[in-house]
Amino acid sequence: MRKRIALVMLWLLALAVPQTGRVLAQEKKEAPPPPPPLALKVGDEAPDFTLPDDNNGKVTLSSFKGKKNVALAFYIFAFTGG
Amino acid sequence: MQNFQKNLQRLEAADTQVLGISMDSPFSNKAWKEKINVTFPLLSDWGGDVTRKYGLYDDKRKIGRRVNLLIDKDGKIANIQIDRDAVDPSNTVEFCERKKLKG
Repeated sequence: MRKRIALVMLWLLALAVPQTGRVLAQEKKEAPPPPPPLALKVGDEAPDFTLPDDNNGKVTLSSFKGKKNVALAFYIFAFTGG
Repeated sequence: MQNFQKNLQRLEAADTQVLGISMDSPFSNKAWKEKINVTFPLLSDWGGDVTRKYGLYDDKRKIGRRVNLLIDKDGKIANIQIDRDAVDPSNTVEFCERKKLKG
Protein backbone atom coordinates (compact mmCIF):
# COMPACT_ATOMS: atom_id res chain seq x y z
CA MET A 1 0.00 0.00 0.00
CA ARG A 2 2.68 2.45 1.00
CA LYS A 3 4.60 1.53 -2.11
CA ARG A 4 1.58 2.28 -4.25
CA ILE A 5 1.11 5.71 -2.63
CA ALA A 6 4.76 6.46 -3.21
CA LEU A 7 4.40 5.46 -6.84
CA VAL A 8 1.36 7.67 -7.30
CA MET A 9 3.22 10.56 -5.69
CA LEU A 10 6.18 10.04 -7.98
CA TRP A 11 3.91 9.91 -10.95
CA LEU A 12 2.20 13.18 -9.94
CA LEU A 13 5.56 14.79 -9.43
CA ALA A 14 6.70 13.68 -12.86
CA LEU A 15 3.58 15.27 -14.33
CA ALA A 16 4.03 18.47 -12.37
CA VAL A 17 7.68 19.13 -13.20
CA PRO A 18 7.35 19.86 -16.92
CA GLN A 19 4.22 21.91 -16.17
CA THR A 20 6.18 24.07 -13.76
CA GLY A 21 8.89 24.46 -16.35
CA ARG A 22 6.36 25.60 -18.91
CA VAL A 23 4.83 28.15 -16.54
CA LEU A 24 8.24 29.55 -15.70
CA ALA A 25 9.16 29.79 -19.37
CA GLN A 26 5.95 31.66 -20.02
CA GLU A 27 6.66 34.11 -17.25
CA LYS A 28 10.12 34.70 -18.65
CA LYS A 29 8.76 35.41 -22.10
CA GLU A 30 6.44 38.11 -20.84
CA ALA A 31 8.76 41.09 -20.79
CA PRO A 32 7.39 44.33 -19.36
CA PRO A 33 5.21 46.10 -21.91
CA PRO A 34 7.32 48.29 -24.18
CA PRO A 35 7.03 51.99 -23.37
CA PRO A 36 4.92 53.88 -25.87
CA PRO A 37 6.84 55.39 -28.79
CA LEU A 38 7.57 59.09 -28.66
CA ALA A 39 5.18 61.45 -30.39
CA LEU A 40 8.17 63.55 -31.41
CA LYS A 41 10.08 62.56 -34.52
CA VAL A 42 13.37 63.59 -36.06
CA GLY A 43 12.67 66.62 -38.23
CA ASP A 44 9.86 67.97 -36.02
CA GLU A 45 9.99 71.52 -34.74
CA ALA A 46 11.06 71.42 -31.08
CA PRO A 47 8.34 73.01 -28.91
CA ASP A 48 9.69 76.25 -27.45
CA PHE A 49 9.87 76.81 -23.69
CA THR A 50 11.27 79.10 -21.06
CA LEU A 51 12.32 77.49 -17.78
CA PRO A 52 14.09 78.63 -14.61
CA ASP A 53 17.72 77.52 -14.41
CA ASP A 54 19.63 76.69 -11.24
CA ASN A 55 21.03 80.21 -10.87
CA ASN A 56 17.96 82.48 -10.58
CA GLY A 57 17.93 82.93 -14.35
CA LYS A 58 15.69 81.75 -17.15
CA VAL A 59 16.54 79.89 -20.31
CA THR A 60 14.51 80.05 -23.52
CA LEU A 61 15.07 77.34 -26.11
CA SER A 62 14.48 79.59 -29.13
CA SER A 63 17.26 81.94 -27.98
CA PHE A 64 19.77 79.41 -29.37
CA LYS A 65 18.13 79.33 -32.80
CA GLY A 66 20.55 80.13 -35.61
CA LYS A 67 23.47 80.05 -33.16
CA LYS A 68 23.91 76.68 -31.53
CA ASN A 69 22.58 73.16 -31.47
CA VAL A 70 20.98 72.28 -28.16
CA ALA A 71 21.36 68.88 -26.50
CA LEU A 72 18.31 68.64 -24.24
CA ALA A 73 18.73 65.96 -21.60
CA PHE A 74 15.49 65.12 -19.83
CA TYR A 75 16.17 63.47 -16.47
CA ILE A 76 13.58 61.57 -14.47
CA PHE A 77 15.04 63.24 -11.40
CA ALA A 78 18.23 65.26 -11.29
CA PHE A 79 19.87 62.59 -9.16
CA THR A 80 19.32 59.72 -11.59
CA GLY A 81 21.87 58.23 -13.95
CA GLY A 82 23.32 59.31 -17.27
CA MET B 1 24.30 63.88 -16.06
CA GLN B 2 27.94 63.16 -15.36
CA ASN B 3 28.11 61.44 -18.74
CA PHE B 4 27.17 64.67 -20.46
CA GLN B 5 29.66 66.55 -18.32
CA LYS B 6 32.42 64.20 -19.48
CA ASN B 7 31.57 65.01 -23.08
CA LEU B 8 30.98 68.72 -22.59
CA GLN B 9 34.15 69.90 -24.32
CA ARG B 10 33.45 67.80 -27.38
CA LEU B 11 29.87 69.06 -27.52
CA GLU B 12 30.90 72.68 -27.11
CA ALA B 13 33.51 72.26 -29.82
CA ALA B 14 30.67 71.06 -32.04
CA ASP B 15 28.60 74.23 -31.37
CA THR B 16 26.25 72.46 -28.98
CA GLN B 17 24.76 73.83 -25.79
CA VAL B 18 23.85 71.18 -23.21
CA LEU B 19 20.74 71.78 -21.11
CA GLY B 20 19.54 69.35 -18.47
CA ILE B 21 15.83 69.35 -17.62
CA SER B 22 14.16 67.66 -14.70
CA MET B 23 10.95 68.06 -12.76
CA ASP B 24 12.87 68.97 -9.62
CA SER B 25 12.80 72.45 -8.08
CA PRO B 26 15.50 75.00 -9.05
CA PHE B 27 16.75 74.74 -5.48
CA SER B 28 17.36 71.00 -5.56
CA ASN B 29 18.86 71.28 -9.05
CA LYS B 30 21.38 73.80 -7.74
CA ALA B 31 22.30 71.60 -4.79
CA TRP B 32 22.66 68.54 -6.96
CA LYS B 33 24.65 70.34 -9.63
CA GLU B 34 27.16 71.56 -7.07
CA LYS B 35 27.44 68.13 -5.53
CA ILE B 36 28.31 66.35 -8.77
CA ASN B 37 30.27 69.17 -10.41
CA VAL B 38 28.07 69.67 -13.42
CA THR B 39 28.71 72.97 -15.21
CA PHE B 40 25.90 73.08 -17.79
CA PRO B 41 22.53 74.61 -16.78
CA LEU B 42 19.94 72.41 -15.11
CA LEU B 43 16.45 73.67 -15.85
CA SER B 44 13.54 73.07 -13.56
CA ASP B 45 10.33 71.84 -15.15
CA TRP B 46 8.48 72.02 -11.85
CA GLY B 47 4.97 70.74 -12.51
CA GLY B 48 6.08 68.97 -15.68
CA ASP B 49 4.51 71.27 -18.31
CA VAL B 50 7.45 71.07 -20.71
CA THR B 51 7.96 67.35 -20.12
CA ARG B 52 4.28 66.87 -21.08
CA LYS B 53 4.53 69.23 -24.05
CA TYR B 54 7.32 67.05 -25.40
CA GLY B 55 5.26 63.91 -24.77
CA LEU B 56 7.80 62.57 -22.30
CA TYR B 57 5.57 62.21 -19.26
CA ASP B 58 4.68 58.62 -18.45
CA ASP B 59 1.15 58.90 -17.05
CA LYS B 60 1.12 55.30 -15.88
CA ARG B 61 4.22 55.57 -13.75
CA LYS B 62 3.81 59.30 -13.00
CA ILE B 63 7.34 60.13 -14.01
CA GLY B 64 9.17 61.67 -16.93
CA ARG B 65 11.18 59.54 -19.34
CA ARG B 66 14.94 59.66 -19.74
CA VAL B 67 15.44 61.22 -23.16
CA ASN B 68 18.18 63.12 -24.99
CA LEU B 69 17.00 65.34 -27.82
CA LEU B 70 19.39 67.09 -30.13
CA ILE B 71 17.88 70.25 -31.54
CA ASP B 72 19.69 71.76 -34.50
CA LYS B 73 20.26 75.42 -35.26
CA ASP B 74 16.97 75.57 -37.18
CA GLY B 75 15.08 74.54 -34.04
CA LYS B 76 14.29 71.09 -35.42
CA ILE B 77 14.83 67.76 -33.69
CA ALA B 78 17.89 66.14 -35.24
CA ASN B 79 18.54 63.12 -33.03
CA ILE B 80 16.68 61.22 -30.31
CA GLN B 81 17.99 58.87 -27.60
CA ILE B 82 15.40 57.35 -25.32
CA ASP B 83 15.14 55.46 -22.00
CA ARG B 84 18.10 53.14 -21.45
CA ASP B 85 19.81 54.35 -24.65
CA ALA B 86 19.82 57.89 -23.30
CA VAL B 87 22.12 57.09 -20.37
CA ASP B 88 25.18 57.04 -22.65
CA PRO B 89 25.17 60.26 -24.70
CA SER B 90 27.96 59.12 -27.11
CA ASN B 91 25.46 58.82 -29.92
CA THR B 92 24.39 62.44 -29.45
CA VAL B 93 28.02 63.60 -29.19
CA GLU B 94 29.05 61.76 -32.35
CA PHE B 95 26.03 63.10 -34.18
CA CYS B 96 27.03 66.69 -33.33
CA GLU B 97 30.58 66.12 -34.47
CA ARG B 98 29.52 64.58 -37.78
CA LYS B 99 27.12 67.46 -38.32
CA LYS B 100 29.87 69.97 -37.61
CA LEU B 101 32.14 68.30 -40.18
CA LYS B 102 29.40 68.49 -42.77
CA GLY B 103 29.08 72.20 -42.03
